[in-house]
Amino acid sequence: MKPINFVVLVLFICGVVWALTLSERTVRRIQQTYYATIGPFLKGGSAMETRARDFLEEIEHSKDLENRLRAIEEEYIKLRSIEGRLRELESENAVLRRALDFKEKMRLNVVAARVIKRQPATWWETAIIDKGQNDSIGAGVPIIAPGGLAGKVDIASADTCSMILLTDERCQVSVQVAGTPEVGILHGMRGRYGEEPRLILRHLSREAAILPGMKVITTGKGGLFPSNLLIGTVREYTPGPVEGVALVQPSVNFDELGVVFVIAQKSEPEG
Amino acid sequence: MGYYHLSLFFLIVTACIFQQFVPSLSSLYDAKILLVPLVFLCAVVTVDTGPMLILGFVAGFLWDAQHVITPLPAELSGNPEVYGDPGGDVRFGYSIILYALMGLFMQGLQPLFREGKWHVSAILAGIAIFLYLSAEYLCLTFVRGDLIISRGLFLKISFTALLTMLLCPLIFWILYRLAALFHYTITYEGLAPDREAAN
Repeated sequence: MKPINFVVLVLFICGVVWALTLSERTVRRIQQTYYATIGPFLKGGSAMETRARDFLEEIEHSKDLENRLRAIEEEYIKLRSIEGRLRELESENAVLRRALDFKEKMRLNVVAARVIKRQPATWWETAIIDKGQNDSIGAGVPIIAPGGLAGKVDIASADTCSMILLTDERCQVSVQVAGTPEVGILHGMRGRYGEEPRLILRHLSREAAILPGMKVITTGKGGLFPSNLLIGTVREYTPGPVEGVALVQPSVNFDELGVVFVIAQKSEPEG
Repeated sequence: MGYYHLSLFFLIVTACIFQQFVPSLSSLYDAKILLVPLVFLCAVVTVDTGPMLILGFVAGFLWDAQHVITPLPAELSGNPEVYGDPGGDVRFGYSIILYALMGLFMQGLQPLFREGKWHVSAILAGIAIFLYLSAEYLCLTFVRGDLIISRGLFLKISFTALLTMLLCPLIFWILYRLAALFHYTITYEGLAPDREAAN
């Protein structure tokens, strides 16, 4: 081995030991700096991505019209194109109205944010949103979406936040099966790809009277999430020798996570 | 260490930024192109062991800064009576070791690459990505418990390795351009006559 390579090897080993023994606080600070650095790229890239998608959609739409209305007059083509664009705006408007209505119905102080990057990691179910500490968002605060609980903030930098989705194994929530006294801890499932996301609800009674279709809501216990937030619907319940386990279908569509609401400040006491 | 090595460092940082915009393909079991490991794997066959370790440290460090979920501070982790076991996760820095191991694996066939047989290294990069993802998943399984292996998981790893491998020629082309720009010698043409002479 060349002497220089030996020196680098020693430095490398020292570096690995240093990295592996960093305190969690220091690691979070490093990650915060990392997200603060890539934040502008993410925001800029996301805006470009949206513009490109709009452009491609427009092209696709125009081509579709061209094929279908080849024999019709040019003026008619233009009108259909305008109609298509109006429908697109109408649909967008309906989505935003639903989101606004959802926000108004919430009795919580929430900050609306846009998901600018979905699942950047290989194994971890995460997303990045376009609001951060500048909007009074800190680590650990819950994030909701039209449909129910979506996850919580992991790392908050000035302009962006990394959120752990409810479908990740590390996002644990204290929940109750609505209409029953059954409470348990719910989290995502690992290793399921190419299938619909499922959540697993543990620590239920051995012979709980739980039926498929029952709603699952947050208990508010433990100080992390507000109470009565919808999580999903029970798909399957399996009694066990020690505890019962239920599979839950999330009420939030994680494939189409566009606008989310971060609970900036809780306005009701938690259990 | 010269400008070429410095350019590799910038290439990895650039890959880190571009990685943010690579989407997961839901039709292929959430497979995606892993740019950072790809750039690292292609770059390490063009350099010596020392620079490989430095690149491995940088790439692994950035990778973990992006991916590893660090436990929240105790005051934000909820009541321990309710959330008794928050579950473990891999430690920050584990990727540095995995990157270095991948680098050593790639450098095993470095002489072939230096003879101009880059396609062997490209195939090896695909294998290295497959092994890397498998090792990463096993690390997660080891700390979290419950070994869960499914067909979807196997296909996700396989498609990710395959998609990433397909981009190898492009990365090698960039590396050759950078080498030419900074007058760095990747291919040792002198090896061929030496071998002929030996025969």
